[in-house]
Amino acid sequence: MLTEEHINYIIKDITYRGIVDEELGDELVDHISVLVEEKMKTGLRFIEAYDKTIGAFGRDDKMLELQNELTNQPNNTYVMIGNYFKVAFRNLTKHKFYSAINIAGLAIGVACTLLIYLYVSNEMNYDRFHKDGDRIFRIVRHGSLNGLEFDHAVSPATMAFSMVAELPEVEQAVRFRRNGSYLVKNPDSDESTKENGVVFTDSTFFEIFSFEVIDGSADASLTRPKTLAISQSAAKKYFKSVSPIGKTLIMDGKDEYEVTAVFEDMPANSHLQFDFLLSMSSYEGANNQVWLSNNFYTYFKLREDVNPKEFTAKLNDFYYGKIEPELQRFAGVGLEEFRAVGNHIELEAQLLADVYLTSNFTFDIGKTGNEQTVYLFIAIALFILGLACINFMNLSTARSATRAKEVGVRKALGSYRSHLVRQFLTESIIISLAAFILGFVLVVMVLPGFNLLAERTLAIPVSDISFAAILLMSAIIIGVIAGFYPAFFLSSFKPVNTLKGKLGMKGNNSFLRSSLVVFQFFVSIVLIIGTIAIQKQLDFIQNKKLGFNKEQVLLIHDAYMLTDSREAFKEELSGLNQVISASYSGFIPVNGYNRSDNMYWKKGVSPGETNSASTQTWAVDDEYIETMGMELVEGRNFDKNLASDSMAVIINEEALRKFEFENKDEWYIQTFAYDQKTGTVLSDVYETYHVIGVVKDFHFESLKQNISPLMLKQGNSTSVLSVRLSTDDYKNTIEQVEETWKKFGPGLPFNYNFMDDQFNKMYRSEVRLGTVFGVFAALAIIIGCLGLFALATFMAEQRIKEIGIRKVLGANVKGLVLMLTKDFSKLIILAFVLAAPLSFWLLSIWLNDYTYRIDLSWDLFAIAGLVAFIIAWATVSYQSVRAALSNPVESLKSE
Amino acid sequence: MYLRIMHSPELLKGTLQTIILKLLADNGKMYGYEITQRVKELSNGSLVLTEGALYPTLHKLESEGLLTNEKIAVGKRVRKYYLLTEIGTSTVLKKIEDFEAFISTMFNVLQLTPLRT
Repeated sequence: MLTEEHINYIIKDITYRGIVDEELGDELVDHISVLVEEKMKTGLRFIEAYDKTIGAFGRDDKMLELQNELTNQPNNTYVMIGNYFKVAFRNLTKHKFYSAINIAGLAIGVACTLLIYLYVSNEMNYDRFHKDGDRIFRIVRHGSLNGLEFDHAVSPATMAFSMVAELPEVEQAVRFRRNGSYLVKNPDSDESTKENGVVFTDSTFFEIFSFEVIDGSADASLTRPKTLAISQSAAKKYFKSVSPIGKTLIMDGKDEYEVTAVFEDMPANSHLQFDFLLSMSSYEGANNQVWLSNNFYTYFKLREDVNPKEFTAKLNDFYYGKIEPELQRFAGVGLEEFRAVGNHIELEAQLLADVYLTSNFTFDIGKTGNEQTVYLFIAIALFILGLACINFMNLSTARSATRAKEVGVRKALGSYRSHLVRQFLTESIIISLAAFILGFVLVVMVLPGFNLLAERTLAIPVSDISFAAILLMSAIIIGVIAGFYPAFFLSSFKPVNTLKGKLGMKGNNSFLRSSLVVFQFFVSIVLIIGTIAIQKQLDFIQNKKLGFNKEQVLLIHDAYMLTDSREAFKEELSGLNQVISASYSGFIPVNGYNRSDNMYWKKGVSPGETNSASTQTWAVDDEYIETMGMELVEGRNFDKNLASDSMAVIINEEALRKFEFENKDEWYIQTFAYDQKTGTVLSDVYETYHVIGVVKDFHFESLKQNISPLMLKQGNSTSVLSVRLSTDDYKNTIEQVEETWKKFGPGLPFNYNFMDDQFNKMYRSEVRLGTVFGVFAALAIIIGCLGLFALATFMAEQRIKEIGIRKVLGANVKGLVLMLTKDFSKLIILAFVLAAPLSFWLLSIWLNDYTYRIDLSWDLFAIAGLVAFIIAWATVSYQSVRAALSNPVESLKSE
Repeated sequence: MYLRIMHSPELLKGTLQTIILKLLADNGKMYGYEITQRVKELSNGSLVLTEGALYPTLHKLESEGLLTNEKIAVGKRVRKYYLLTEIGTSTVLKKIEDFEAFISTMFNVLQLTPLRT
């Protein structure tokens, strides 16, 4: 028989082997005892018999397997899951501070990511609703002419239907021609409205695109001259509830167009956004046969089973075949010579769905997005979500010391590792779910503001079940990812060690924690540097000497509608006290106004590839230079009393350099004459202009571009009246100008804006990028600081006894604060060292787009580093100071 | 491996509960080790129950209400006896009937000659 001592031995041994279930323990002890007794009957000693018995049992593994099997029976699972939740809630409410920080940090991360997801998925889903969208393409041209790289989305007028006629792969094609905005009026009304969504297009429009015609016939519309199709909302606006078919609209006060169809409003995720489609046959230049003149957007549909790549090669051959004779005629060169000097043109078939994101042309038919921004946003979203998850992991592991005791007690009371893992995962999933709910609410709250900022109409797809499912799945996945490490780390503690207070986890664990802090601040610093640099570049643009004065210039649009009373209007305006000067010209030196260029060469040389320059030709009047605040560096201004000045031009400094005049007697330039009637360029007749002055170079496009040669000549361009003001009272002045306008053009809308506003619009995407960067940098810092704050709190708690002893032994507060913040400081310096080169590299790439740009100086990085450092210090020092000031009696009296 | 046996384990997997219930019906109360010994004895050593199969089954039957237990302490040792509850007793007959029906069906299906005849 076994003695009590033997039984005790057995109990101790199987407990050591991990059996904690009391019921099973009893049974096993009895079971093993009987087996041992039987073996001892054969003459073995106790210890030998016991060893054999355990050996036959299959050692620890088998025993634990048995235990697991017993505890994992299905009837227990339900109760256990309920228990996990109960304990998780208790834990979260017990540690309110940590839970709040965890949830808040993660919620901010989730909100950012969700917002960015909505934005990105909107950007990536443009133009995907067209039937056969994978067969619809647009023609774009890339190439280089006379050393100037160009990318255009426009092609010759004759391109579209020559393709349909001569290339069997092309099923159908359609052209667009934009001609600016129009004043639209119902003949029965006195009011006209300025409309931007007006375009000339072919009758094949509805054949290619899947825009629904809801009134009238798609086949018969846009076939005749002076007909148009209008959108549903335009129909409502101009005709109320009456069917507009057969009715007329007056465009720009003179042309009557008959409505032949009403189509459903173009969806927001279409890059084509038009309310008025005018029949192409009403457009004068629609039959222009010149292949070197590019003004039309061409879209086409390939037949099924045509390989777009092979087709593109064929298209280029076709195109070169067409332009060769014209090169011969106008420039006197053949294809080979044309190519020999480095010229080339490539046509590319751009897939309809790619138009929105991959277009970056100076002019485009509609709004376009930016692929890089989309990728940048995705990266930022991932980073911020990563930061939030890291925060969570960091806090959980940091708190492991407190929880280690809990783990020890739980294990001693019969918990298995798998139970603990599940317990911790439940906790993190609950936090994650709470954060998702909070984040979702945040998104709902900020979405209107975000839409305003990003100029989108994003909405949460509430009715989309898969979206809700994805959200729920993500919450669980993030909960698991964030909780995975803490769960396995915490559950691996040996109960004996944790209960004794030996943790033995200082070393490797704090390394991980430190690297996570470094990563967080690394991201924050990159974002701070980015924000500052973008802001600096924007300031640079604002304060750059532009060559003209953008302040205090009022631009009055659609002045041509005043017809004969134009001059009288200008006269009367000039009489106002606040008005210095006024000038008629549609050519304004900010993006979005008229542009027109032509080839010019110095008189006397024969025009060729190398000695002629593509020159902007702007039609202005004699008050233009004064009104714009430009500076004449040589020669004189136009004189409207001099008849000979009709053939006089003023060029900019860049043009002066290009034409290489030797002396003032040579100041004559020539170009091909243009036949207004036939719309063709005459290759054998030249027009000669006399250069009477040189104007200082001014920027007339975004600072991303170089200043190109430009000339001003007197001409009749009356779409805009620019007025230079000198006043502090803008409100009153505008009222007076409007009154004058009403006097001369009753019923005409008074459309105006200020030139500096227009100027700022050119950099809207930069401003937006700057704002977005700023916002995300701030969020990243908030998340980082939340984590840091909690971490500092925890560290201070951990070291409270050490601090107490140090104080008793004579340490002063300053020294203690320094000691506590020193560790964090090192981490932040390390983060800065890593972040600076990366952001330098990224910013260099971004700034390369700008011809005129800031230099990346060291102070930029220093400021960013300092900002991060100060924020981190402020966060940490609150806790450090509090710990250092605490009374050592309080912290040392326990135990 | 649930059973350390000479027969194919698949054959016996479903029968463990029946075996335990029948043994308890015949012998009143038994403890774990006793059950393994009895099975060994009855099968002439060709059927050996492992602890890994026995105890989970016992606990399962207990939680289903077919068995109950009595604990008798001997010094530090606690011996846990299992006995049938009322439901258990009625289930035994049902299980054995089911098993007999199953066996005879198998005899027919596999066209074997029963040994007893």
